[in-house]
Amino acid sequence: MKEITIALAGNPNSGKTTVFNNLTGSRQHVGNWPGVTVEKKEGRCTFKGHRIRVVDLPGVYSLTAYSLDEVVARDYVVDERPDVVVDVVDASNLERNLYLAIQFLEMGANLVIALNMMDVAQARGYQINVEELSHLLGSPVVPMVAARNQGTNALLETVVSVATGETRVQGINIQYGHDVEAEIAKLEQLISTNSLAQQYSPRWLAVKLLEEDKEIIEKIKRV
Amino acid sequence: MDSAEIINAKDKSLEHLRTIHGDDAETLIADARYGFISGLVKDILKKPATERVTATDRIDQLMLNRWLGIPLFLLILYGVFQFTFVVSTPLIDLINSGLGWLAERVPGIASGWLGSLLADGIIGGVGAVLSFIPVIFLLYVALSILEDTGYLARAAFVMDRLMHRIGLHGRSFVTLILGFGCSVPAIMSSRTIENPKDRLVTILVTPLMSCGARLPVYALLAAAFFTAFQGLVVFSMYAIGIIMAILLAWLFRSRLVPGESGHFVMELPPYRLPTITGVLAHVWERGWAFLSRAGTIIFCAVIVIWLLDYFNVLENIGRAIAPIFSTAGFGQWQPTVALIFGVLAKETVVGAFGTLFAGAEGVGGFGSVIGAELGWTPLVAFAFMVMILLYIPCVATLSTIKRETGSWKWTFFTIVYTLALGWIVATLIYQVGSLLL
Repeated sequence: MKEITIALAGNPNSGKTTVFNNLTGSRQHVGNWPGVTVEKKEGRCTFKGHRIRVVDLPGVYSLTAYSLDEVVARDYVVDERPDVVVDVVDASNLERNLYLAIQFLEMGANLVIALNMMDVAQARGYQINVEELSHLLGSPVVPMVAARNQGTNALLETVVSVATGETRVQGINIQYGHDVEAEIAKLEQLISTNSLAQQYSPRWLAVKLLEEDKEIIEKIKRV
Repeated sequence: MDSAEIINAKDKSLEHLRTIHGDDAETLIADARYGFISGLVKDILKKPATERVTATDRIDQLMLNRWLGIPLFLLILYGVFQFTFVVSTPLIDLINSGLGWLAERVPGIASGWLGSLLADGIIGGVGAVLSFIPVIFLLYVALSILEDTGYLARAAFVMDRLMHRIGLHGRSFVTLILGFGCSVPAIMSSRTIENPKDRLVTILVTPLMSCGARLPVYALLAAAFFTAFQGLVVFSMYAIGIIMAILLAWLFRSRLVPGESGHFVMELPPYRLPTITGVLAHVWERGWAFLSRAGTIIFCAVIVIWLLDYFNVLENIGRAIAPIFSTAGFGQWQPTVALIFGVLAKETVVGAFGTLFAGAEGVGGFGSVIGAELGWTPLVAFAFMVMILLYIPCVATLSTIKRETGSWKWTFFTIVYTLALGWIVATLIYQVGSLLL
């Protein structure tokens, strides 16, 4: 059976490192991302006969081209196409954490949301409708308390189910408003005949172009 | 489709969107994402009723107000200096009378060169610096309270818009505010700024923020020359520092290292009541550096100054350089010497004045002697304070700049530009002031 690759993403302070440790235990390997001095951690585990490789992405709030960490995280997901992207989300700080999650969904990543720190959210009296969240995002959501190693098995179960195609990630389609959408449509059409469109979703490229994403503009110029 | 055509079409689209919305597409897209999230969260998250309008929200409605935010920030800053001065003045007087008592005992213990070293050098110089402990510690108390309550994050937030105009962002302002305490940790805090150009410019202008070590110099001169307006004069030093930092950041960012600046989320942590232990720990962290400097670098500097003075060399050194500063009104050898030694640590300026003037009218009272001995008017004192604010940062700051930029070039650049800036602004103030007054 083929090894499953998970990219582990999340905001700084979302408990991502704890989730990584829970998943991989001591089987970790620390190195650098190629060409840059950003630390890269990898680990392995097995779950119900599946061999799983976990790649820890840098902790980021967003996926723009403004910082090295963000570029590293984004390039890995876009270029290496991990089977599943697990985004660790702090349940007590949903608004901010979801900004990263929806950018992964916009990219068309196979996203699973690890809804961490459920205990903190509960202690604050937050009631989170996990099912509805999963439905609205079109992506599985696994509630967890990583600090107490709760939810790790459920997360692995979901990851395997997404990787094997049993569960499908629908994703979202954010509407950027009438005017922006009109320009996206124009650009999408031009891009669809470009060779880059085989590698990236044309809509995503169009959005990135409008965001004046330096990296993507360079990529298009190089074609 | 070929790449050039796609890029062309993109530029046209951006142009089009800019004309319709007045905002760039990036902002529109980010707004759409945030809109999506707030809509989503409203559907799936129920917060307890008490939290729906939190105290934080209510305070922020005022603090982050578009029009009131910056005036409130300045008002709070002004309040900090008023508090610092009103509370510290009686304490400083107390320490000074203690030092005066000590100095009177010196002739009974030692005479000749040793007596002079003890009275003028140690008690006059180091004692003068130590007498400002209350003002420094109280400033640190006020700054720690602002930081621990979460207000400093708001100050950065309200400045974010302005900072974007000059090509930086709010996080640079956090570094600048930390510079009120000490430039060294402030410059190190710039590591959180992701964009390398933003970070470099922030590092270059941070020394212009008035640090705690400069406060004793202001306190000494303000008490001597501006009795009624001490708080206001000192506040104006801080304001000039902020204005210069912003002005030069804009200049450097547009001329020296042009290019896009980074964007990121400005965090707004909830307001908290500061704990006494937390504040004290912060004050101690910052204050300890001041105390240990007084015992080491300033102690040594004061002894060197005393030695050079005792052997009549100091005056010649000062006189050789002093004419440079005559355009700013303080072209005498004593302030020149103070400026030279001030590069070691800014408090040394007080120590130097203490050593040079202590004999004239006992310890503590020497502030008032400066005016008579040097023939300074309040205008000259003000120009000199501005020079202290802007000229070459202390050696500890310079070595931090070297370490963080990894470049001698930028370190020397800082020395040259700050010296030129201090001289120009002090000269302008003195010349224009002389015409007006």
